[in-house]
Amino acid sequence: MKSTTSQLVVLLIIASILGLVRNIVPANSIDYIGKWRTLSNGDDPIVPPNADKGDPPFISINIAQMEHMAGGAVFIDAREVSEFECGTIPGSVSIPFEYLPDENIDTYVDSALGGLEKDHPTIIFCSGEECDLSLHLARNMQDFGYTNMMIFFGGSREWDNYGLEIERRVECEE
Amino acid sequence: MRRVIDNDYLTLLARLGIGLMFIYASAYKIVEPESFAKSIWYYHLVPGKLINLVALIMPWLELIVGLALILGVYYRGAVVWTNLMTLLFIGALCSVIVRGISIDCGCFKASDASSGSAWTTLLFDLTVILFAVQLFFSKSKRWMLARN
Repeated sequence: MKSTTSQLVVLLIIASILGLVRNIVPANSIDYIGKWRTLSNGDDPIVPPNADKGDPPFISINIAQMEHMAGGAVFIDAREVSEFECGTIPGSVSIPFEYLPDENIDTYVDSALGGLEKDHPTIIFCSGEECDLSLHLARNMQDFGYTNMMIFFGGSREWDNYGLEIERRVECEE
Repeated sequence: MRRVIDNDYLTLLARLGIGLMFIYASAYKIVEPESFAKSIWYYHLVPGKLINLVALIMPWLELIVGLALILGVYYRGAVVWTNLMTLLFIGALCSVIVRGISIDCGCFKASDASSGSAWTTLLFDLTVILFAVQLFFSKSKRWMLARN
């Protein structure tokens, strides 16, 4: 039993040394202490009081982050352009709901999304709980035939509050 | 039953099978630790600050345990690690299935958050644990480089 325990420890020590030393080589090295966010136990999404049954599903920060890391879904920022440029979820597309054209909105949205398939996963957000631009944009997009949307109602503020990366294009206005 | 468990050929088959599987499984994780770290994160089981350390060390442990099983060096320790790691993988897979998280296991390549092969992998791991337990109880010492 004693020799089994010592063998267990020796194998672990050898693996630890090799793993940590190999990481000194710059190619594909990573930080020893990760910056991964420990997910909270509560995985409940924020749902606005004016949500309807037919609305796309609301997702939590945990799901939003997982989808972002997986890279399959397109994130859509429904806030105005200045807010989008000040700081948004990296890789997001800007479709400012309040500044949509009066006509041919569907063409505008299709163009902004670069001709994305209507069933491609999209995640719509705005700034946070006080903002329902994401909800309104999602409802419009449903009318245009988009079928695979999710709404991240925690928005850019919840994303930022959790210490996740923010993409900034310009200095923020006061 | 005892004769089956102690069978030299069955023990050798289990050693080679599990050993080669561990070596193969360790390859991508050693080459792409960041992808493997992401796979671990998807499980939501390891504290965020420890994920990278686990991603750096665990693949090497798989590799070394795999080699030790095949060569018959540090054999008892390797067999116990095999059982511990396989039980850990089974536990992790069960937890994502219970919590409804849809991910690929990240066992042999980086996990994809949207695919769902956890059940398939769980069945595979349950098969592996059968052989790992057989190795644990087997008294066969043939075809080993060292007396363990």
